[in-house]
Amino acid sequence: MHINADKGRVRKPYILMENGKSKFTPELREKLKTREIDFNYLVRRGIIEYLDAEEEENVEVAIDEAHINKSTTHMEVDPAIMFGLTVNSSVYPEFNNAGRHPVAWNFMKQSQGLYSTNFNDRYDARSYILFYPQLPLIDSITYRTLGLERHPQGQNMVVALSTYYGYNMKDAVVFNKAAVDRGLGRSAFFRSYADEEMRYPGGQQDHFTLPPPTAEGYRGEHVYSRLGEDGIIEPEMDVKEGDALVGKISPPRFLEEQTSFGIGEEKVRDNSVELRSGEQGTVDRVMLSETIGATRIAKVRIRSIKIPEIGDKFASRQSQKGVISMIVNQEDMPYTKDGIVPDMLLNPIGLPNRMTYGHMLEMLGAKAGSLKGKKFDGTPFSNNGAALVDEFGSILKEYGFDEFGDEEFYDGRTGRKFKGKIFTGVVYYQRLWHMVSLKLQVRSRGPVQILTRQPTEGKPRKGGLKFGEMEREALIGYGASLLLKERMLDQSDKASVWICRDCGDIGYYDYIKNVAVCPLCGGSSLEEVEISYAFKLLIDELKSMHILPRVRMKSD
Amino acid sequence: MSAKNEKKFNVVYGEAVGAVAAHSFGEPSTQMVLRTFHSAGIASSVVTGLPRILELVDARKKQQSPLMTIRLDKSYAKNYEKAKQVKAQFEEVLVKSLLENFTEDLKNVTMVLEFDKEKLAQSDLTLKFISGKLQAKFENIDAEQEGHSLKIKYKSKKEMKSARTMFVNMRNFAVKGLQGIKKATVQQDDDGEFYIITSGSNMAGALDIEGVDKEHLYSNDMFDVLKVYGIEAARNMIANELKKTMDEENVSVGFRHIGLLADAMTYGGSIKSAGRHGIAGNKASVFARASYEETVKHFVNASVFGERDPLKGVSENILIGKQINVGTGRIKLAIKKEDLKKVDAEK
Repeated sequence: MHINADKGRVRKPYILMENGKSKFTPELREKLKTREIDFNYLVRRGIIEYLDAEEEENVEVAIDEAHINKSTTHMEVDPAIMFGLTVNSSVYPEFNNAGRHPVAWNFMKQSQGLYSTNFNDRYDARSYILFYPQLPLIDSITYRTLGLERHPQGQNMVVALSTYYGYNMKDAVVFNKAAVDRGLGRSAFFRSYADEEMRYPGGQQDHFTLPPPTAEGYRGEHVYSRLGEDGIIEPEMDVKEGDALVGKISPPRFLEEQTSFGIGEEKVRDNSVELRSGEQGTVDRVMLSETIGATRIAKVRIRSIKIPEIGDKFASRQSQKGVISMIVNQEDMPYTKDGIVPDMLLNPIGLPNRMTYGHMLEMLGAKAGSLKGKKFDGTPFSNNGAALVDEFGSILKEYGFDEFGDEEFYDGRTGRKFKGKIFTGVVYYQRLWHMVSLKLQVRSRGPVQILTRQPTEGKPRKGGLKFGEMEREALIGYGASLLLKERMLDQSDKASVWICRDCGDIGYYDYIKNVAVCPLCGGSSLEEVEISYAFKLLIDELKSMHILPRVRMKSD
Repeated sequence: MSAKNEKKFNVVYGEAVGAVAAHSFGEPSTQMVLRTFHSAGIASSVVTGLPRILELVDARKKQQSPLMTIRLDKSYAKNYEKAKQVKAQFEEVLVKSLLENFTEDLKNVTMVLEFDKEKLAQSDLTLKFISGKLQAKFENIDAEQEGHSLKIKYKSKKEMKSARTMFVNMRNFAVKGLQGIKKATVQQDDDGEFYIITSGSNMAGALDIEGVDKEHLYSNDMFDVLKVYGIEAARNMIANELKKTMDEENVSVGFRHIGLLADAMTYGGSIKSAGRHGIAGNKASVFARASYEETVKHFVNASVFGERDPLKGVSENILIGKQINVGTGRIKLAIKKEDLKKVDAEK
């Protein structure tokens, strides 16, 4: 006997059997529908039982009424509840490869939609709102239960499984310019900036204000031109990178030296919040409040409209992701004999390897649904695949379309008819929050690190792309010695250093006396040499551990 | 370089052969790591895949599965019974494997070995033979037979420590077969010829056994090969073993790259590993060594011994920011254009 009654163990409800028949009778079903009874009634009456994983080992569960046999002890409440949220979130998941479900779930997490209806009052660090979100034409019980109907996260797009002059190789997708212009996938990106009037020991405090030109680190009048009198930016102002959003002055970082004139004018330092590099937008909302510590805080929300462009990412609920590679004018897109131009061209090679048959089923079903004006249900195991295709096929036929969803297409560029038919349908596509406009970064010149004098790293610091060890090895292997020198020295931490001819130590050039000096031997016979700053640092570090490297030079 | 030589080597002057070899080696090896650990279920006593490659490249003294492949002389090769006789001479029989019990008396420097009668019979050995073998191998001992026991007395100085080590060595002594060969099996090839595979390597011993084809003796223990056949043979063995292991994993690497690695490991006359105790640790440049591993150690030693770095290598030149001496950086201007004009004028 093994009794397991741990707190928090996972249990799942099952319908009990009686005399080879389900205890959940049609009468009870009717009562449940009319809300005469509820789920807990069924549990109390012993019609539904909760089993945990270990109890499941000793029962025989029928998936539905049709599968009940002599030895059956329990029946599933609904076959779909054997899956978790991940699988149940997509439609027709039972037709897809199991490994794709986590991928699809991941894409759903990244989708832009209507994440909250009070988004206008919120100051999230980052948020994305789709302009025209739609309900999917195919949904599921889980979809409705989760309340996703109130938070749609995509749009129904007309998709043709077609190539387009090599522009949608691999996972790239081609978009219709006219559809984009009409608002397809258009969204708003919000970013909030926050700042606080900090208090410092000694009674000093930050102040929201227009920084005076005398402030340390003042960046020029143009930066602060959009700030209001209170030092905080006005709503609906267009801002670009580097513009101040909240003007703030702070006390100096280090304690001031006492001047002989007593306490003069207090020095301040500019500590304003600026818009992130590479971004632009409009001030959406400004909020001024107080913290618990009675210091003022200001929050500024910047809005920018993100129109789908080349490089933006989209994904269906069937784990089919794609990046826009081309936005084609409507007249150049393929069109059907009915004059329908797809919103999106998807390369069919993405389908066979990933085995996402649900994607094709959704295309067919949503196409039939859009013709008939009806939504279909894609809950797992609620349908029979062959029956579905027949059902959708008959609807399509009824409206004069090919029953398998294929369409005759004409090339928009040449006007010629394509030899084959192209499978076309409607798919619910999500716009994901990976957008080039937030990622694009270039650098030719820019900031360097203080310690090493090498270029900075990372987008917020306007950094370069690292030419790492493996890349270095590749150039050595290729024998491109001058290119290698350019990467490692000229475009990195080239430094001009004076080296003593006599003692081989590093000296400096005295611009007052106009002579080079060696502090070690006191000589003045030095040579200006170009070395990497990293090497100079290495020498300094070795000196600090009592090792004196001497550099001997040879003339060319 | 003349066109003739260039054809011969098929490598351009200044080509970074080492770096290219490292790339050609390294890239497919990364795939091997992924695969070897996924081929579960295949129980094999022989080390293959990446562990074997590492074993070879690190020049491990004690490798995991040393093997010898012994071809037999013509008169033995077709005869299974004869092959079995040869095989029997390989498998080592240690003294300790025949013992039932033993007692050491270090005070009187004596040891009593009690032998197991059945085990002796199985191995076809007599106590007399064993005592003779032991006396031949170890000096200054007396062996006295008492029933199934052998009483051994250390004759020389009553030194406990040397007696103790000798007693241990004695028990690990192979009375029969070759030292280090744990198992030997007779195999048959496609031509019907018998050959022997041994687990453990002892080439010097194998050469003394009659019926062994001395020209086709193979071992995968590089130090054994080095000891018996010399450095060239060891080089070829390393290269072949690397190639073989790579082929087993379906990784194709050009043999010249493998050969270069084997050359680099052996050109000094001894086998050096590719790591910081071998090739990389013996680089001429302080900076090159310090930029690899154990930075402080190399700088401190260099300062103590007043080392000079002539900046001839690649790594140190990149560090200080000079053009490297490889590829396009290898070619230097012999004469300037203006100087050439002077020479022409003189003519």
